[in-house]
This record gives sequence, C-alpha cells and structure tokens, in this order.
Amino acid sequence: MGVVNELILGFAEAMTWQNLLFAFVGCLLGTVIGVLPGIGPVAGIALLIPLTLNLDPAGSIIMLCAIFYGTTYGGTITSVLLNTPGEAASAITAIDGYQMTKMGRAGVALTIAAFGSFIGGSIATVGLVLAAKPLGSLGLLIGPPEFFALVVVGISLLVALAGRSMVRALISGALGLLISMVGIDPVMGAPRFTFSMERLLDGVSFVAVIVGVFGLSEILSYRPGKKPVSVHAPGFRSLLPTRQDWKRSTPSFARGTGIGFAMGLIPGMTGSVSSLLSYGAEKKFSKHRAELGHGAIEGVAGPETANNAHANGALIPLFTLGIPASPTIAVLMGAFLQQGLTPGPTLFAEHGTLAWTIIASLFIGNVLLLVLNVPLVGLWTSILRVPYPILAGLILMFMVVGAYTINFSVFDVFVMIIFGLVGVGLRHLDIPLAPMVLTLVLGPLMERSLRESLDISHGSFIIFAERPITMVLLVLALLIIVSPLLKLRKPAALAVDDPES
Amino acid sequence: MEGESTERSSVSGRRSIAAGQAVIAMVGLYSLVASIELGLWSAMGPGAGFFPAVLGAVLALLAFVWFVQERAGIHRSESGDPLDHAHVWAVVISLLVLAAALPFLGFQLVVFAFLMYHLGLRAGIGWIKSAVISLGGSVGVFYLFTSVLHVSLPVSSLLPLNMIGL
Repeated sequence: MGVVNELILGFAEAMTWQNLLFAFVGCLLGTVIGVLPGIGPVAGIALLIPLTLNLDPAGSIIMLCAIFYGTTYGGTITSVLLNTPGEAASAITAIDGYQMTKMGRAGVALTIAAFGSFIGGSIATVGLVLAAKPLGSLGLLIGPPEFFALVVVGISLLVALAGRSMVRALISGALGLLISMVGIDPVMGAPRFTFSMERLLDGVSFVAVIVGVFGLSEILSYRPGKKPVSVHAPGFRSLLPTRQDWKRSTPSFARGTGIGFAMGLIPGMTGSVSSLLSYGAEKKFSKHRAELGHGAIEGVAGPETANNAHANGALIPLFTLGIPASPTIAVLMGAFLQQGLTPGPTLFAEHGTLAWTIIASLFIGNVLLLVLNVPLVGLWTSILRVPYPILAGLILMFMVVGAYTINFSVFDVFVMIIFGLVGVGLRHLDIPLAPMVLTLVLGPLMERSLRESLDISHGSFIIFAERPITMVLLVLALLIIVSPLLKLRKPAALAVDDPES
Repeated sequence: MEGESTERSSVSGRRSIAAGQAVIAMVGLYSLVASIELGLWSAMGPGAGFFPAVLGAVLALLAFVWFVQERAGIHRSESGDPLDHAHVWAVVISLLVLAAALPFLGFQLVVFAFLMYHLGLRAGIGWIKSAVISLGGSVGVFYLFTSVLHVSLPVSSLLPLNMIGL
C-alpha cells in the first residue's frame, strides 16, 4: 500500500469523533501547560499520562502528541503579552513579541505566531510522512549492536548540548541510567538496587521520577514576582495582520520551517535552539533586520515557525528509529512504551494503522490549534490572572494524581516527593536535567541491546568493531564526548540556559 | 558588610557543591560495589551487575573530575536563586502527610485538607474561595477521574468514611 493510501486510512481513523475529541482536549491542555508558569512541557506531559491510561493506544498517543505541540503554542502567549516565556522555546519570541504588545500590536503578533506555528508544524509533518517509509525500512536493517550505537550517539549529543559542563551533563545521564537499572534484571532475573522492597521489583515509575525531578522541583524552586500580573487580552479586530505583515512574515515562515525541521531531526537539539537559530537567521537575512528587537514581525514569525517545525520534525527520529530527540519526546516515548508500543521501525510493521493515524492526527491537531488559539486568546490570558498559589496548589494536586495513578500506588507518590528533592539538589548543583530524562527512558533499551549484542557475539566486544555502521556511530559518539578536549567548542548560540535542559 | 555576606554565601555555595560531589561519588561507589555482588559476567555474557558496575565506576570518576574542575575553576557550577526554605519545607511536609494519609482517609478528604492548607492558610486566600476551590480540586477531580475517565483514586479504608463515599 502506498504512503498516500496509508495516510488516507490514517485520516479516516483520526477523524472519528473520539479521536477528534482527544486531539481537541490535548490541544487545550497543551496550551494551558504552555501558558502556566512553573510547569514545563516535560513534567506537564508526564503528569497528564495517567489521563490517557484507560484510553485505547491511538487515542492516548493522539492526546499526548496534541499536548506536546500545544505547549509550544501556549508558551508564545505569555512571551508576547507578559514578556515571560511559558516555555523555553518561546523565550526568544518575547524580544519582539513584547515590543509589539507595547505598540498595541499584541493581537497581530499572536496571529502571526499561530499561523507560523501552523505552517511550520504542517510542513514538518509532511516531512514525517515522506521520511516514515524509507527511514522505517532502513531502521529494519538495524540490529542490536547498531541500535546500541545509535542510542549512544543520541545520548552523547544531548549530553554535549545540555548545560555548560559536559562532566555535569554526563553525571546527569549516568544517574538516569542507574535509576533505570532499578528492578529485575531483564536477562538473568536478578533484583538490582531494590533494597529488599517488593515494590521496586518492577523498577521505579518513570512518570513519578519525571514529575518529581521536573515538576515538583520546579514548584519548590519557583519564586513568583511580587507584582500582580497585569494582562489585557487583545480585541478580535486587533488580531488581524495587515497585508504588509503577511508579506514581511512569509520569508520568515520559510526560513523558520527549514531551520526548525532540520534541527528537530538532530537528537539533543531542543526547540529553544531552533527558535534561537531562526532569530539569528532573521538578523542576518531579513530585509527589516534593523527593526529586530524593536517589535519587528519577523522576530515573532521566524522563531515561532521554527519551534513548531522542530516539535513535529523531532517526531521523525522517534517514529522511524525509536530515538527520542529531546527530553519532551523522551517522555512521549515513555507513554508509547506504557501503552505497549515500541516506537521505531517496527512500529510501522506491527502497528501500521496506528502509526498513520497518529501522523494524520498531527495535521488535524495543527489545524485545531490554529482555530483554537487566536479566537480563544482571551481565555488563555484569563488563566494568567489566577493567583499563583491557586495554580501551584492545583498543580501539586495533579502531580499527586499523576504519580499515584500510574501504578495505583501511594509508594509512587513518595517516589515523586523524593525525586522532587533530588531535582532541587540537581538544579542547585547546576546539573542539567535533560540527559537524565533521556537515559531514564532509553536505559533499559540501551542495556537490552548491549546484552543482546554480546549474546550474539558470545560475550565478545569485537562485534561493535566488526559492523561498519556501529563502528562509525560509536566513533561519532566518542568524538562528541571528547569534543571539549579537542577544543571543539559548543556554538555560543547553543550555550544558553535552556529550562528544558 | 554586603561584601562579607556575599563571600559567606559563596563559601556556603562551594561547600554545598562539594557535598553534592561527595554524595554523587558515594552513589557511584555504592552502585559499583552492589553490582559486583550481582555478578559481572556469566557463561551467557555480561551478568546482571555488568552495566550498573560500569555506570557506578563512571559516576564516581565523573564526580572526581568535577571536583578537580571546580577546584581549578573550570566550568564552575553556578547555583541558582536561593531557595525559599520555608516554602520548600511546607510543600514537602504537606505532600508527605498527604501521601501517608491517602490510604486511610481517601483522596477527597486528604486533598481537600491539603488544598485548604495551601490556599487558605499559607496563601491567605479567603476561606470561602479556598473552600470552593478545594472542593473542586478534591471531590470534583475525584469524580472526574473515577466516573468520567474511569481511573480510580483512593477511597478511605476507614469504614465510616468509606460508607459516606469518601
């Protein structure tokens, strides 16, 4: 069956009223998470996984994907209206977006951001459609040694790009791997690090760990400003951009899509890197570059298109190779595994209809977000008027629900609290959190592929040197890890603080 | 005066980083020792302890490299904004009490009390407003999950409370 036919079948499945409802609810929740201060997309998605536990796999993943790209839309609203990014990828939008608000053009900025996000997201999804089959079949050629090497490259890229210090990023990654080792060993069946506690035989709940490390620690470290938030929703008329705005934004949409899509394919690149590079491209190529920083529409159109193209593009490595490109995607991958689905080349072979349904739902979700975001901007801004203690209290309650319902165990609530404190400690020590999430999810797969490889070779490590793809990938990973010693410096644009990290 | 206080906070920051490095090194060493006991190699190839042993050794080594880097002033850690300790303790202790009481008193009662504590008592939001929000966040969420989403939340194990639907 051709790609088009499979996509049409996917659309037929995705457009059932239940799946449309899941996409709609996911978009709403994602936007709310993007708008809310003190909770990022990683913890937001993790704590909403329990909402989807009793849904069928398609509905569950459709909803979580919608939440994922909904957060990128939501983050823009606070960037533009309050100069406070709701999430890291929208931070750069605040520069020109907030200037536009001061000039009374907040509505135009939000509309252009929504259209840019729609264009970037949709084109990146087309990329996913085109790449799915060839990359998926290429992925089928990958055996355990290649998969192990691929995971090592993914982790080393994220480690290299997270935070300011490679050593601290490696510590974060190693801690995540060690946490993932807790429980019954997959090959020998021996309990590891269970401290004679039966509840730990199945391992530590990854949702509880992520909600604790990313969500609870954020609430514990969050210090809201003393001044009450003053925000005014733009009227409907002020939402309409002029012809000149459209004309100026079009090249930025194109550049943002290209940058975001390309960056999304590279493991370790977060959405904020894409929006930052896109802003840099606007500074270099825009005809109106002198206006950037003073309320130029290009400063909104480019980064917003880039971060949504990135969000959708980052699904390609996940769907085709089973490698999450960012911490948020790693959480999404955890949700796949929770539903008994293994993302990667076998997804298309074993659950083809499901994979195409999810891809079709990405198009639908992008349309829904466009329709929802612009007219409902008043509703989103009203969330910002809710006093922070009320938001924090309700978020804490949802964290408890999220941690509890994953295994219906109070033990997991305690796990979340402990990891909340661990998260505070790691933040205090300036240890990036992103590598930990990635290794936490990939740890068991990495160990399994390593041990399967060694099983094939009867315990000989030579297997990694004998297979050319594995060899190339491992050398690449080594180069990435030792790059600071070789004075291959991280580009300045990538050295920024990234809360997603 | 200000300089003295900055110096003191910098010294305490350095100390807490050194303590963090020690804790990480100990976690690494513990993992290494515990993994060796699990067996590093078997006839089938790597044993249950192989991967965690490597990780433990790497973690301990990284903690040492970080310690050396910190002393040499390379990529020095930058502690974030100081924590509001009262806020941290209030949240953590209330969560611990909530988790401990959950099986006995049930979700609705415990979460209601938890939200009332954070909204009414700590944030000083009016009692009526706090009660309404707490009721929505406890009873409302309970019925949303159990009746609409079919995801069960804990009910009280105490018969009298259980019988009245809590």
